[in-house]
Amino acid sequence: MLSIPWVCSRCLARSARSVRNLRLFYQRRGLQTESDLSPALLERACSLAAEHATLSDRLSTLFDPKTAKRAGEIGPVVKALEDWNNANKSISELNSLLVDPDAETELRTLAIEELESTQVALATVSDNLKRSLVPRHPFADLPCLVEIRPGAGGDEAGLFAFELLKMYITLCVRRGFRSAVIKRELGDGAEDRLSEAVLEIEAEGAYDLLRTESGVHRVQRVPATETKGRTHTSAVSIMVLPSFPDTGSAADSAHNFDDPSSDYYIDPQEVRIEKMRAGGAGGQHVNKTESAIRLTHVPTNTVVSMQDSRSQHANRKKAWQILRAKLAEARQEAREKELVELRRGAMGGIARMGRGDKVRTYNYGQSRCTDHRSGLTVHNLDDVLEGGESLETIMGSVRSWLTDRDILAITSTASEKRV
Amino acid sequence: MPRIPTRLIVKAYQNNPLLPLLLRECRSLDSARNELRWLHERALHIARQRAISGRSGGNYPVVGWRGLFRSMCLARSKGVPLQYILGDQPFGDLDIKCVRGVLIPRHETEAITFHAAELILDILSKNNWMDRPKAATLRIMDLCTGTGCIPLLLHALLSPHVLRLSVVGVDISPTAIRLAKENTKRNVRLGVLSERALSEVSFQRGNMLEFNHDGFPTMEGLFPRIPGLATSPEPRCDILISNPPYISPREYYHGTTARSVRIFEPKLALVPPVNLSPSMVQYRNIRREDLFYHHIAALIPRLQVKLAVLECGSHSQAIRVAAMCKDVLGKCNSTGSILVDIWSVTGYDGHPYAVLVRSR
Repeated sequence: MLSIPWVCSRCLARSARSVRNLRLFYQRRGLQTESDLSPALLERACSLAAEHATLSDRLSTLFDPKTAKRAGEIGPVVKALEDWNNANKSISELNSLLVDPDAETELRTLAIEELESTQVALATVSDNLKRSLVPRHPFADLPCLVEIRPGAGGDEAGLFAFELLKMYITLCVRRGFRSAVIKRELGDGAEDRLSEAVLEIEAEGAYDLLRTESGVHRVQRVPATETKGRTHTSAVSIMVLPSFPDTGSAADSAHNFDDPSSDYYIDPQEVRIEKMRAGGAGGQHVNKTESAIRLTHVPTNTVVSMQDSRSQHANRKKAWQILRAKLAEARQEAREKELVELRRGAMGGIARMGRGDKVRTYNYGQSRCTDHRSGLTVHNLDDVLEGGESLETIMGSVRSWLTDRDILAITSTASEKRV
Repeated sequence: MPRIPTRLIVKAYQNNPLLPLLLRECRSLDSARNELRWLHERALHIARQRAISGRSGGNYPVVGWRGLFRSMCLARSKGVPLQYILGDQPFGDLDIKCVRGVLIPRHETEAITFHAAELILDILSKNNWMDRPKAATLRIMDLCTGTGCIPLLLHALLSPHVLRLSVVGVDISPTAIRLAKENTKRNVRLGVLSERALSEVSFQRGNMLEFNHDGFPTMEGLFPRIPGLATSPEPRCDILISNPPYISPREYYHGTTARSVRIFEPKLALVPPVNLSPSMVQYRNIRREDLFYHHIAALIPRLQVKLAVLECGSHSQAIRVAAMCKDVLGKCNSTGSILVDIWSVTGYDGHPYAVLVRSR
């Protein structure tokens, strides 16, 4: 006795597909870096090692936090270089053993085996060395703000923006990061349609983890609002911004935004502060509950508005935080762009992937999520949207892609310098 | 007040059936939406608290929040201030409880208090206050304190920088004094105010419009009760700050004062009373809305105040008050140079105005 008298064949097919999709399926298309180190890179590593030696000399006599920090930064490079030297030395010894006519045949076969394994190890060691040579992003240690805005696609984009917000929140929950939605503006008359949201993730190093997410995320699906069953393509833009700590706690760091000589200093004179509504009498005459604040940075025309909290003071503080983050990101990006312009000739057309370009596609019909930078495709969209392992796999692939790109850039600039 | 267009009401109704109720008081869709969200959050919160306290522990479904939410919106549509419905108002980082009969803290007062804290720290660093012997206590007095928001926020802002503080708030209303004391405990409990506030902030009942034969406000009976002031033979105070009633009767009944404020907030805290004190005879031309400022100005030389910050309602009032302060202080002429200044900043609703009096 079947309790369900009739089951549509499509439903059966769908359930079968979801079972099949539990198996992850990856395709990898990445940038290939050379397996052997270029002499320019090696030279750089050696100079860094020399610097480390002098620094540790100085540290043994007098402790200075700045020196210690620098030494700590270079530390991994020195270690990787040592490993690489050791591996090279053992290879050359083994080679000399092979060339030696007096050696016994038994020893020779052993040496051949050893040589093979060392050569495999050398590849990973040199890879490590390359990775350690990539300088850390200046904001890598900071917590971050994730700004989500729907792009082309109207209501559907707003709906998907809301889903992306949920995705990042669940990712934070799973990783144990503390997150708070500091700004959430819903679209007209809907509970699940964003017009803008800012998520704050208060974990050290969250910027480094999430900076792979900046860019345009494209969604291809049949929207809930569609009546004729057509697939739409919409876009949501995501911007990951560094979140600067409060002034008091970070007086010594390079990110002290109150110091006029700092790169990230904003002159308060250049910021126009506006109330949202022109008011008549104020003070004791009226009891205003409106607490909206809008800040405009006049030279760059960056606008931040905030109205979520009942306290004008809190809104102002958050608006300043976002404004600072936006300007710092813009300045950093401008600097990077300059570097890219310098490199472009040497790099052979590897362009920078800005936030104007589409970085990832979520295709519901094929239950697939593809990142266009690393070329990784994951066929488990549900897990991605739930902020699961698959999302982190994608983010990891993008991070290694970013590192590969940085290595290429370093190699090309370094060899250019030599010429 | 312009009529709300029907189109807007229909749009609000489509958004949420309760939104038109809020539109009556808010007049704009954006602010009505914000208020709806705040009321919604609070209704859910209260219902959840009830569910937790009613049944011990566990994750029970939250019931009854819809009715609560609806009644809150209805109350708001009748003009009850949002702060009285929700029961609190953020002030700086503090959370100030609000009850009927006590004026709700305004955004302007918040801005002026922040500025006053900056000025005080500035004065302290100039006078090398931190290097003085430990006896130096910074004495601050707030007149017409209401909810106690100004003394509490000043304590929160100054206590990390000043070792010893004595802050006193004076108000005529016993309700206000009770509420201010409650607010101190509340904010210490919330962790936004340091434990020191319990001993360093006090609230006293006092009437600053009563006069003795010298023509000074009789706050004589008050001084011995204030811990920081009683120690010295002459009552002294370093900082004086006040947000006194400053609305004229004309503005109150026919002018700019909002209906909701007139109906639900205490007139005592808004309009100065008719004063028939004999000493006022020589100041016949004084306006009724400026009454309190005159009394405060008289206190400034008496208490050897270093900095006085007086909130005013409008630019013209600030100019009048500044002139009055110069006049009164010039007559006393006990101290050296006196600096009278008007401070205001754009970017706040209604532009806060404050008269600053500095003496050195």
